Amino acid sequence: MNAIEIRNLTKNFGQKQALAGLNMTVPQGAIYGFIGENGSGKSTTEKIICGLILPSGGEVKLFGRDYKDQDVRAKVGVLIEQPGCFPNYSVWNNMMLQAANLGIENAAEEVRKVLKVVHMEGSASNKYKNCSLGMKQRIGIAFALLGNPTLLILDEPINGLDADGMRIMREVLTDVTKNYNCTVVISSHILGELEKIATHYGIVRGGKMIAEMTAEELNANCPTYVALKVKDIAVAKEALKQKYSRVEVDEEEYIRIYDAESAEEVVDYLYKQLGIAVAEIKTSKIGLEEYYIDLMKEGK
Amino acid sequence: MENKAMLQFDQPSFFKRLKGMLGVDFYRLFHTPLLYIFLFIAALIPALVSMGAMGGEEGAETAGMFSNAWQIIAASKPMYIISDMGDYANMNMVYIFGGIMISIFIGHDYKSGYVKQLFTTHAKKQDYMISKTMLGAFSMVCMCVTYMIGGMIAGAATGLPFKINAGSLICAILGKFIMSLGWASLYTFINVIFRSKFGISIALCFVLGTGIPIIGAAAVIGNTPALNIFLYGSSVYACLTSNALTLVICLMNSVVWAVIYNVLGTLILNKRDCY
Repeated sequence: MNAIEIRNLTKNFGQKQALAGLNMTVPQGAIYGFIGENGSGKSTTEKIICGLILPSGGEVKLFGRDYKDQDVRAKVGVLIEQPGCFPNYSVWNNMMLQAANLGIENAAEEVRKVLKVVHMEGSASNKYKNCSLGMKQRIGIAFALLGNPTLLILDEPINGLDADGMRIMREVLTDVTKNYNCTVVISSHILGELEKIATHYGIVRGGKMIAEMTAEELNANCPTYVALKVKDIAVAKEALKQKYSRVEVDEEEYIRIYDAESAEEVVDYLYKQLGIAVAEIKTSKIGLEEYYIDLMKEGK
Repeated sequence: MENKAMLQFDQPSFFKRLKGMLGVDFYRLFHTPLLYIFLFIAALIPALVSMGAMGGEEGAETAGMFSNAWQIIAASKPMYIISDMGDYANMNMVYIFGGIMISIFIGHDYKSGYVKQLFTTHAKKQDYMISKTMLGAFSMVCMCVTYMIGGMIAGAATGLPFKINAGSLICAILGKFIMSLGWASLYTFINVIFRSKFGISIALCFVLGTGIPIIGAAAVIGNTPALNIFLYGSSVYACLTSNALTLVICLMNSVVWAVIYNVLGTLILNKRDCY
């Protein structure tokens, strides 16, 4: 069973079309990286799944049921932007209020447990308004984890987190999916971080899903390349273009050859045949970020 | 969190949901200064009213408008149309403050993001309407009580006589308590329509609380009891000559308001984006 199934989802805000027939499938137990430019429709989709805004058309199913079913809604944990906390109350009181809304029995124990999961147990008495951005994000995750959710919807949860905060977040998300049968949808612009945890990806543009794939498929789609550094980049690039069809220079001034058989083959060609000395050479693979950028460029 | 091999979905009962939501709302009510400020204001108003009534200059509109201390709490007869300040300046003013308080409370729901957090869970929109109506009604009843205490002190201080039919007085006060539910549902409805537009909500609640639109409407279409009983509310009907029938009318009126506004508010919340 899929945790989320969306078919032909549309949403109009007046004249503006935010979603134009979006399809989305999130398998149960996945960490689904939801990627797209600002205004592409990520947050709108997430808000519809969460029941905050109404779709103009299409179908949204959670665990095979209509997304409005109260019994399913009770099992969805959400962090959209910032958590809805009262600034003058302590973290603990805010959590207890949310636990009361969710009708959680043994609320204090449950709150203590989720605060520990996000490493916030020592800051429970702090007033929410005095918490840093990173702490607020972690509180938001704790909010979302209350009530044993089977689906977590997290909108930009790693924004504002320091390196340690990101590591904690990775641990938490991996833990809830592996050990608690939880499915996570996470949108973020920090693709390098997303790549470390996501098992599935959905790339959205202009209100439509342009690609959905597993991490393995992404890996297969990402080409390997030979990257090298030379003294005279322009000359070497022109020479390489005579033999290879895709030659590019990246931001760090590495020349990348995408259709070379091996690094040795490139060195042979440059040095032995053309006399161009290679200062550094490596074989690498493009990551999610570059794949995404390439995909966006293709669309434009 | 417990490990689950099989997914299980349990539908929380209406009472469980409402209990949770009411618990949160009442916790907030008692743990913020808002209620206490309005209780203080409600207690202070009778003193200001009686000072204006007794200490006004000869010929001034407010001078000598009360002949009995209990008129600070309710009008002497079921005035359908306000004919002088004495009919107006009584416990009905609590409903104006109640409107402002409910607007601030619901405005804070939206500002803090609490509504967003709430509606992503299993909470139903009708639960929200009911919870806020009950909270508003409770607050206004509390304000009525402090107003009554303030009114009795002010009456004693001004030397007005307290002679009254106790049964009518009790019916009048209970009638006003009961109408708190109707007014709270109206204010909740208004705040749901305007959502985060706090300024409009509070201004509209204030204007409706004063009864100005109804007084204006009555001036145009005439003094019809149906208009006044239903629209302006039995808060005006609950006066110092009230009896058991008055209470029944107040109760019917209040319940009808509460049902209508709660149903309309729920429909609006269900048909519009929440956030």
